[in-house]
Amino acid sequence: MTSDDLAYATILEIATRYRRRDLSPVELTKALLARIERLDPALHAFVTVTTERALADARAAEAALLRGGDGKPLLGIPVGYKDIYATRGIPTTAGSALLADWVPEDDATCVTRLRQAGSVMLGKLITHEFAFGIQFPGHRFQPAKNPWNLDHMPGGSSSGSAAALTAGLVHGALGSDTGGSIRGPAAFCNLVGLKPTYGRVSRAGVLTLSWSLDHTGPMARTVEDCALLLQALAGHDPADPASSREPVADYAEPLGRGIRGLRVGVPRAYFLEGADAEVEKAFEQALAALRLLGAVVTDVEIPSILASWAFLAILMAEAFAYHERDVRAHPELYGDVLRERVLAGGLILGSEYVQAQRLRARLQAEMLEVLRRVDVLVTPTTPKPAPTFAVVWDPSFGFPKSNMPPFNMTGLPALAVPCGFSSQGLPLSLQIAGRPFDEATVLRVGHAYEQATEWHRRRPRI
Amino acid sequence: MTLDEVRARMKAAGIEIAENRLEMVRRLLTDALAPVQAFDSRGARALEPAVTFDAIQGAEPRRDDDDE
Repeated sequence: MTSDDLAYATILEIATRYRRRDLSPVELTKALLARIERLDPALHAFVTVTTERALADARAAEAALLRGGDGKPLLGIPVGYKDIYATRGIPTTAGSALLADWVPEDDATCVTRLRQAGSVMLGKLITHEFAFGIQFPGHRFQPAKNPWNLDHMPGGSSSGSAAALTAGLVHGALGSDTGGSIRGPAAFCNLVGLKPTYGRVSRAGVLTLSWSLDHTGPMARTVEDCALLLQALAGHDPADPASSREPVADYAEPLGRGIRGLRVGVPRAYFLEGADAEVEKAFEQALAALRLLGAVVTDVEIPSILASWAFLAILMAEAFAYHERDVRAHPELYGDVLRERVLAGGLILGSEYVQAQRLRARLQAEMLEVLRRVDVLVTPTTPKPAPTFAVVWDPSFGFPKSNMPPFNMTGLPALAVPCGFSSQGLPLSLQIAGRPFDEATVLRVGHAYEQATEWHRRRPRI
Repeated sequence: MTLDEVRARMKAAGIEIAENRLEMVRRLLTDALAPVQAFDSRGARALEPAVTFDAIQGAEPRRDDDDE
């Protein structure tokens, strides 16, 4: 196994090598720290590399391995956290000048859970400012770059998480997703990203963007890795008021059961409008692959789907409520795009926010009705591949239409999996959404598709 | 939404936004509010109940004869 193979190994491959004693957690951690030192100056995935903590975690994992593993499912697996997850004693910046010097006193629940599962923390990964802005040239924090093409953005807001995974700098990462910030970067970087059901994974200790739309979840290079990370994260947390008591399923075991007879719904309206021809072609090929695997694929309609963009009114109003005090007192500490996006939320009327929530309730009811007839919905994750920085830095660049917010509005689980490449060599992605708390089926479909294709095996030339 | 409407909302909310950023804000608000303004809410269900309750564990069951 070459050093590149090691950097891109799956969680189960690493665990197998640990058990065979032909690799140790300290050895792997040192190799990745050296890789970060070599590659990250061009990628800017990391805000903080936690070298001492990583080596301490790795030594603890090594000791646990000698005791037989202590039943820790992610023992010695190197991970990174989007820099809006609070980490005790480690700066947590949210990509913002406002919090540039903040050192939390406690870990976010997700950080605690991955630590308890035996993982190794390699560091904190850059995020778009407060998960909502964009880093322009001259911003205090440099934007992460897309390892597939450094002129292109890796998506956001979990930009560092995606860049680090794509470059083989971590084996798992956490992101957050308010309107697609896990799935979008996964789509733009040929990764797997899961936005779980609202309430499935705790948000306690994760900085807020929009209370009713925010989700936390895993990003990885394979569906199986994503399932293993979710297994360690999922479960009730009294510290998050939205956390569910719904029992946690086994996510990894059913992955290999296949999808013969499974009903796949395709909502074409909204989700294919404005899609690039290459995206449409890749999507139709993905549908053909699902049929070959035995799935029953049918078109479905969600009557209110065009109202999905009311999501933006909810997001902006809630973001203003969260930031109002700081943005009024210290507007100079907010980047240009974030400041105006947040302030714009203060211009939304109370009645408009309420009507947007009522639209949301209607959309949710309609999606649940459709999901009585099909097991999952599939769409392209994004209508276009990753844009260049030049495009998003243009002052006229707005908030582009997206296929991901409908599942933040409805709280349903949604997964992004690689489904092809554009003629420019940029990744394309398939989105699979399912019933509330049915992450197991969503992951099973993603795994079946992934195993039938080769897209996830491609690596960028860095 | 027009720029004048954006300015009127800014005045009412006590919010200042640089003049050269107003067009971006106008487009953002127009996109965000388009579905809301197109929405005929008369046929939509209300958002109520805003809160729901479960019985507090450990409370004595209520007896029908309590009212007597």
